[in-house]
Amino acid sequence: MTLRRALSTRRGHRVTSQSVSFQFDGREYTAQAGDTVASALLAHGVRLFGRSVKYRRPRGVFAAGPEEPNALLTVGTQPCVIPNVSAPQLAITPQLITRSQNRWPSLRVDLHALLQAGSGFLGAGFYYKTFMWPSWRTYETMIRHLAGLGEAPGAADIAPPHVEYVSCDVLVGGAGAAGLAAALAAARAGARVVVCEREPQAGGELEFETATIDEQSATEWVSSALAELARAGARVLYHTAIVGGSDGLVIAHAEPGGGAKDNTVYRIRPQKFVMAMGAVERGIAFVDNDRPGVMLLGAAERYLARYGVAVGKELVLFGNHDRLYASAQRLHAAGMRIRAIIDTRGDVSAVTIGLRARLTGMGVECLGGHAVAEVHGAHGVRRICVVDLQAPGTKIFIECDALLVSGGWTPMLQAALHDGGQREFAAQAGGFVANAQPEWRTAVGACAGTFELSVLLTESFRAAAQLSQSVGAMGVVGRAPVGRGDTAPQLQAFWRSACTRAQEKRQFVDLQNDVTVADLRLALSEGFVDIEHIKRYTTLGIGTEQGRTGGLLGAAIVAELKGEPLSRVGVSRTRPPYQPMTLSSLAGLNQGDALRVTRRTPLHAWNQANGAVFEPAEYWLRTRYYRANGTDAFTAGIQEATQVRAHGGILDGSTLGKIEIAGADAAAFLDRLYLTKASTMKVGRSKYMVNLREDGMVLDDGIVLRLAPNRFLATTGSGHAEHMLSHFEHYRALEWSHRQVAITNLTEAWAVIVVAGPESRAALIRVLGEAWHARLSGLTHMDFSVSRWNGQTLRVLRASFSGELAFELHCQHGIAVPLWEALVAAGLQPYGLEALDILRVEKGYLVSSEMNGEATPQDLGMDGLVNLGNECVGRAMLGRPAFAEPQRPRLVGLRACDGKSVIQGGAQITLTTTDTHALGHVSSSVYSPALGQWIALAFVARDRAAPGTVLVARDPLRGTDVDVVVTSPVHVDSSSERMKA
Amino acid sequence: MMRLTCPFCGARELHEFQFHKTAPEPGANPFAAVYERVNRTDISQEYWQHLHGCRAWLYVSRNPSTGEVYQVHLLGTQS
Ligand SMILES: [Zn+2]
Repeated sequence: MTLRRALSTRRGHRVTSQSVSFQFDGREYTAQAGDTVASALLAHGVRLFGRSVKYRRPRGVFAAGPEEPNALLTVGTQPCVIPNVSAPQLAITPQLITRSQNRWPSLRVDLHALLQAGSGFLGAGFYYKTFMWPSWRTYETMIRHLAGLGEAPGAADIAPPHVEYVSCDVLVGGAGAAGLAAALAAARAGARVVVCEREPQAGGELEFETATIDEQSATEWVSSALAELARAGARVLYHTAIVGGSDGLVIAHAEPGGGAKDNTVYRIRPQKFVMAMGAVERGIAFVDNDRPGVMLLGAAERYLARYGVAVGKELVLFGNHDRLYASAQRLHAAGMRIRAIIDTRGDVSAVTIGLRARLTGMGVECLGGHAVAEVHGAHGVRRICVVDLQAPGTKIFIECDALLVSGGWTPMLQAALHDGGQREFAAQAGGFVANAQPEWRTAVGACAGTFELSVLLTESFRAAAQLSQSVGAMGVVGRAPVGRGDTAPQLQAFWRSACTRAQEKRQFVDLQNDVTVADLRLALSEGFVDIEHIKRYTTLGIGTEQGRTGGLLGAAIVAELKGEPLSRVGVSRTRPPYQPMTLSSLAGLNQGDALRVTRRTPLHAWNQANGAVFEPAEYWLRTRYYRANGTDAFTAGIQEATQVRAHGGILDGSTLGKIEIAGADAAAFLDRLYLTKASTMKVGRSKYMVNLREDGMVLDDGIVLRLAPNRFLATTGSGHAEHMLSHFEHYRALEWSHRQVAITNLTEAWAVIVVAGPESRAALIRVLGEAWHARLSGLTHMDFSVSRWNGQTLRVLRASFSGELAFELHCQHGIAVPLWEALVAAGLQPYGLEALDILRVEKGYLVSSEMNGEATPQDLGMDGLVNLGNECVGRAMLGRPAFAEPQRPRLVGLRACDGKSVIQGGAQITLTTTDTHALGHVSSSVYSPALGQWIALAFVARDRAAPGTVLVARDPLRGTDVDVVVTSPVHVDSSSERMKA
Repeated sequence: MMRLTCPFCGARELHEFQFHKTAPEPGANPFAAVYERVNRTDISQEYWQHLHGCRAWLYVSRNPSTGEVYQVHLLGTQS
């Protein structure tokens, strides 16, 4: 790999003589510290930066900021790449690796471009119209490979952004002349001021201004204004663009590579927001106006002033306003050779006539009333064709290698058109400017259509002073800065040069999306009338530059083609983010481990050390099975479940939701929220209870314990505790705010160990000691008892979720691990969720697969509970006729008729193997070691749910049809003798 | 981003709150309360909880077209 010859040191106000290097398309280039990739490559004479997205036409740098439509690069190497980074904004950092985009196999030779050369141009909607048979999907993969901007990263390893919350009295967007004047007024008034500037430096257009402000040069004034702002405590954030926001919140983003505040998202809550984002230069459409070497005039000036880069050797300037001449003088003074200035205006002021004469004297050909019609040179500008607008037949050819275009400036209204902000057409700006805004926001400077320095300084200073007063900053602001020597640009709208219909395919409106005048004409002829529809059909202004250089141009050409005024056509709205951000930046801190909490039980470390395989259950990590018990979840689950039924086992049940309801009205409150009454329960007893949603569907179930006359503990499903807590609190606020109900979430205050199996009582007595003998032997089903063990509180509840004799041990954290270890030592084998699922399906117990939000208590076989008649939330809805219809599914058990086939969870229940009408579905299925076959819980239409009915469990996805017979949902021990032993 | 003013905590960012549902019309029967909901563009009466704050349940009146929040008060208290 050869290192490109170092060039002689350039002088510019952003670069130093220190040398740095970077890679572009596999080649090393030298640069000077402060360079961007665009400036460095331009300095090396590189003109080809990429190919266009649709036609793969060679493209070079067009702009010097985020409005860059062409020079988009991919940064980094897979899997850590960031695509579509604008080269003019990409600061050179150590080990920077960049690549051009949209080319294959190489930038010079692109296969797709060759194909295009033969096939002609692809009009708007081409893909959708052409690739219709048999369907778009047939072609999608191939087309996606060819289309699209850049490549997505293969891994999510871009560091999360910093997120900073900022509040201030006055936020100023943009630190150009208008923004600085506004910030000064607000700071002097005593307001807390924050300024966001997307460039690394303040000043905006003042960078080139020859006018004076307060008797200083423009750049001196910028320095003194910044110094004053610093003294007043104002905060100026550089390299930070305003990218979105709503309802009074403004989002700003400091891009990666921006320096000290690299990749920071600011969430700014200002009292008042002054939009001073200025305007961005736009191009003019002419034939082959996309060739490398065609560049915005302001961009060429910036590359020269900032980086000392001459963008060409022989320049032509083309535009429609007075500022062409001042630019020409500056470029000439810097030693650049200007061949001609093409001004579309015929009538100009005396001042301009004088300027022309002076430039003509320097050897610059000044052509008024002329326009560039066409560019020649396939890989870069070689020659241009100029026509006399009064006599279109006459052509003048001028040799040049750079054509600098300026069609005027488009106010940056992205932020101004959201939240009810309005715009209006302003002839002097040749486009739209902000007008009515919400009361917390105001537009100044170019955003408001004011381009003349002396006027915009005064206007924005006064506007900010007034806003500051309205938020109580009443300090004396003094007089506004006075600008002298600047004049309005005298712009005369000119959008495109005349050409033939065929040539309209080569008049580019939106360079980034390859939208041409022909596309706009086609869209109109196909009935797309509204500018927002035209945008979506042609892709005008949808890329990373968001229509900055082409949006208004496109709208103006649509106006011309429709024969309507531009003011009526309007211009499309930009959606946030106004500047590209990585998904990682958008996500902010909500990624990786911080995306959601992970909760671990007090027994987690023990489980981990003892071979547990974990499974996320809502925010909890739970043990699925223990590796020692089987090579996979299926075999381990069967081993663990068998062990529980044969001897006994222990389960970490700490994730059980536990909500304490206390107070004089606690019992009445629970009566209102549960299908059955809590108030009839004795202290020391517990009860299985169900609550309903307002629409009558089962919400959750659990055991409710009466700890004391006015104190209950409601248990909820694992992972449902947060939701149930909110549910309880909602009803307390809604109906019980004047009564005494205290609700406390104790889920994480208690560890829970489930001890299940025929040997559970004996093992527990061995572990807890003889003192517990009588206590445990006296516990009948659903009784509980509280005492202490090893100095901490232990509550033992006799309840079962497995159908075996079982106990729930609610204990304080300090004794969880010793108690668990003692139980293991007593011969009880730990089991996990896999075995739990087998045991509960065998016994017909429910989880969220059954309580799925579509099941009423009757659907779940709880008619007995409903018939008790408690008037709870949701009960009124249970009598609806649809719930009693014969087709309504209800819970049943299923077994395979042949005693061995696998019943798949999710299978549809039908009458026959050819039937496509589902009578219900399988909600849970397991292999039952107790029965030696697959069993299931399922929902089946009531009129087909009688035990003994033969049906089919169809699973078209896995291609299985299994004959099944309906049974009771309780597959094992239907009389509950084991549980009550 | 919209903010709500919690009676206990003051004006807070929306992501601290959790929307529950729109409130039924006063006096609506249970069926109407669940299924017959008005969907007005000028005013929406809603239940919210300051979930990642003080957990208070709130009754919010706001304009869903403009985002303007007319009133926030504690659920269960009349204002
Ligand atoms: Zn609060």
